[in-house]
Amino acid sequence: MITPGIDTNATFDKKLYLPRMARILEIKTMTAREKYFKVELPQPLGHRPGQFVMLSQLGIGEAPISISCGPRTDTILEMVIRNVGTLTQVLHGLQPGRKVGVRGPFGSGFNLADFRGRDVLFVAGGLGLAPLRSLIQPILAQPELYGSITLISGCRTPADELYREEVQTWSRLDNGQGKIRIIRLVDDTAHLTWDGEVGLVTEPLADLKMQPDNTVVALCGPPVMYKFVIMELNARGVPHNQIFVDLERRMKCGVGKCGHCQINHVTCCQEGPVFRFDLIENLPEAFR
Amino acid sequence: MNAFLVRKEAVSAWIRRLAQKNTVYFPQRAGHSALRFKPVQEGSEVQFERYHPTLVPPGKKLAPANEVLFHYRQERPDDPEMEPAMDESPRILAGVRPCDLKGIHLMDRANHEGHGDPHYLLRRAHTTLIAHDCLQPCDDACFCDAAGSLHWRQNADVFLTPVADDLLLEIQSDRGKALVQGENFPVCPDVAAYKARAEKMRTKPFGRQFVTALTNLPGIIAKQWQSPVWEQHVERCFSCGTCNLVCPTCYCFDVHDDFEITNVHAGQRTRTWDGCMLPGFAEVAGGHNFRPQPAARQRHRVKRKFEYLTRHFAETSFCTGCGRCGRQCTANIDIFNIVNDLAKNAEVRP
Repeated sequence: MITPGIDTNATFDKKLYLPRMARILEIKTMTAREKYFKVELPQPLGHRPGQFVMLSQLGIGEAPISISCGPRTDTILEMVIRNVGTLTQVLHGLQPGRKVGVRGPFGSGFNLADFRGRDVLFVAGGLGLAPLRSLIQPILAQPELYGSITLISGCRTPADELYREEVQTWSRLDNGQGKIRIIRLVDDTAHLTWDGEVGLVTEPLADLKMQPDNTVVALCGPPVMYKFVIMELNARGVPHNQIFVDLERRMKCGVGKCGHCQINHVTCCQEGPVFRFDLIENLPEAFR
Repeated sequence: MNAFLVRKEAVSAWIRRLAQKNTVYFPQRAGHSALRFKPVQEGSEVQFERYHPTLVPPGKKLAPANEVLFHYRQERPDDPEMEPAMDESPRILAGVRPCDLKGIHLMDRANHEGHGDPHYLLRRAHTTLIAHDCLQPCDDACFCDAAGSLHWRQNADVFLTPVADDLLLEIQSDRGKALVQGENFPVCPDVAAYKARAEKMRTKPFGRQFVTALTNLPGIIAKQWQSPVWEQHVERCFSCGTCNLVCPTCYCFDVHDDFEITNVHAGQRTRTWDGCMLPGFAEVAGGHNFRPQPAARQRHRVKRKFEYLTRHFAETSFCTGCGRCGRQCTANIDIFNIVNDLAKNAEVRP
């Protein structure tokens, strides 16, 4: 029997596609479609803001889920999961104490150094607030390292708002100095009580007092939002290398192999999902 | 490394001998006319003439259509046992043509980069390649010379070149050397002379040729995002994905879980071939599709082969010119014509 030796140049992890099991500590209903999950991992995840994990339930499947907590040294991982398919439906039916499979963290993520010393503007649309929270948390934890901090967070109706109490807490961090500003909007109050503004996220953007040259923007939302927000940022004169976008694509592996998340020549799971806008603005598939 | 000059029948006999102790895949007839890489067994025909490209390229033996990534058992739901399914069985792929040899080289690059794919790399590490040169084009569909893979020799452990009734058998690696251990093959007296003789026999020009040099294509295709060519060629496309399935350098996959029908606590996670020509390939949760039009998907496929991956890996082309996608296409859509039309289109523009 001829047994060729293993190619020593090929290094590989036999457990690349194997999830680690994490225990669910807490599940909270946020909206009719979204639930908050807090899980405990076997080891610290060591993630950067804007990264994602592949979350799975054995026998059902696996899907990419954004990490919605800031970097942490303990073993806790927080996520917001929207009920959109078989896997997420099963996850929504689980109770605390059960376990889920986790692979990752994957992707590029945000780099806090890009924001330090600058005015920071977050623009979140709907579920986009969940991944952005992983960046908002560390920035709000040390606001003295940044200039003014503004969050514009929009969703469809008051019933769709995520992290309502926490976002309100963020508004109170300001102490009247005007350094931290939180703008919450809905497209439509849908006859519900609403203490924020009504309109699209682009509207406050047009009136915002800002120094475009010194402002760094982080943007996450549904595909349709990017084009309009970037048009508005262009009108305000924000340089493209100071805009960071967090994009969504279908992902099956998280490690640049399955091909699903490819945007022209880049893979969303490796080079992204967070991209500096000037580096991808000429990719026709980025903002379709 | 050594080179031998061996009668064709003796080489066939050698491969049959290798198959007694190893799993040897060789192109064999399946049904009426198609060739498939099948294990050589007692009585299998092993002959190098009358070759035409197999339905599925041999490289797909390294990344099978349905591949189990891991098995699991979870009698205690919160403490599952998981076992990665690794295929470490040694195998020999024999009769691999230069286009497919290059296809395997390109798959090696894609699977090696970044997070190396353990399943592919382990199988690859246990695979020995016996390649065979082509002196005539397989048929009207092939364009391996134009795609830069006709003269591919690298990563073959043994390379065979036909010279009259003999085959020039060149050992290109230690694995190749192990394959001829104990064989009493006559040493080739002058390798260069025999190679030159074979080269003289090669049909020229060899198969279809592009209107421009291969090295110009990435630049030409990069500039044609909105070309009428994309629509023209996709008009009759059924989006069936056959072109992806038979391509030696298509490696995209989908992943799904199955549990056993008799035991819901046990099952496996499997990956299956997927293709960017299929309508749902770029769809995300919630239903938004980033490439809803067939022309957009076709453009993505062609750009991957001739622009995106080519530049990313600094290779001349990720299309090997094997001609399978055009040959198998139900609607007769041929990547060679698409690319050639793009090149012609570029020429007429200022």
